[in-house]
Amino acid sequence: MKELINRFFARDRAASKEEAKQRLKFLLIHDQVDLTPVQLDAMREEIMEVIKRYVEVDDAKTEFRLERGDKEVALVSSIPVRRVVTRAVSA
Amino acid sequence: MSDCIVVTSGKGGVGKTTTTANLGVALALGGARVAVVDADIGLRNLDVILGLENRIVYDLVHVLEGECRLKQALIRDKRADGLFLLPAAQTRDKNAVTPAQMREITSKLKEDFDYVLVDCPAGIEQGFKNAVAGADRAIIVTTPEVSAIRDADRIIGMVEAAELPEPQLIINRFRAKMVSSGDMMNREDILEILAIPLLGVVPDHEEIIISANRGIPVSFDENSLVGEAFRRVARRITGEPDVPMLDLTNGNGVWATLKRWVGWAPAQGVAG
Repeated sequence: MKELINRFFARDRAASKEEAKQRLKFLLIHDQVDLTPVQLDAMREEIMEVIKRYVEVDDAKTEFRLERGDKEVALVSSIPVRRVVTRAVSA
Repeated sequence: MSDCIVVTSGKGGVGKTTTTANLGVALALGGARVAVVDADIGLRNLDVILGLENRIVYDLVHVLEGECRLKQALIRDKRADGLFLLPAAQTRDKNAVTPAQMREITSKLKEDFDYVLVDCPAGIEQGFKNAVAGADRAIIVTTPEVSAIRDADRIIGMVEAAELPEPQLIINRFRAKMVSSGDMMNREDILEILAIPLLGVVPDHEEIIISANRGIPVSFDENSLVGEAFRRVARRITGEPDVPMLDLTNGNGVWATLKRWVGWAPAQGVAG
């Protein structure tokens, strides 16, 4: 009941613990790989640049992030492809 | 078989010294012989938390430099049978001690005591290296805050690098009220991130400040909830199986009373 009431009053504001958790997870990943968010952004842009030379991608649905596994951090990416831009790559 | 346990956290101010003092008291009241060692050379405080500051004659550095015997530096806590403090030097710094010397001291203490608890200084430098040098295992103290958990994660890695077994966690300054309103990370949130075994959860309470003012650790107080939390952690340290988690739900508020009255129990209790 207390929780319900709390939820009622806190409806328009997300519980701050979720924010804490998300920030913390993000922090720990970047601490572990020693890669700053700015560097990660730069890497993403360069990679996307290369990908876009070959295929048209859905930017809005593109995901590109670091994820923490048990022992290591993985670079996880999902890049929906709309169509191939060109086949004129060779020679 | 005796055990040397280092109490560490990375971040300062999360309650390492309070935890060391209370676990020392609780273990001793449980019948063990316990030496608590202040490894915070230059910034000693374990003596103050235990209320033994006026009885210091010799300290850890005096022992290392051969100015006194180890037994002369140990201060006996008259309130708890079997509890002794080895104070840190206040006028020296971390470089006055080496990891090899700490190993020597703790192994000597282990001959006479069931438990040797080492209060580690904050940080990851020399003081940390000294404090973990003689330890058989580590307890990590954290609070439900982003900064403390971040540092705890770092320290867990360093404990593993020091080739100690997987450390155990104490969550300190837990506020059940804030957890139930979603404004504090709960036990599961923290364990999901740090992924080490939980030794116990200690509630935040003004008693802790009062006990520090007086130099009487709350573990001496049989009626204290915080004291009970520490006593249960101590029982888990001794290997007692299935020590129940403490109910930390605020039990005296209007809603708690009403809930009890209508027989409604929360689906997910807040326990420590």
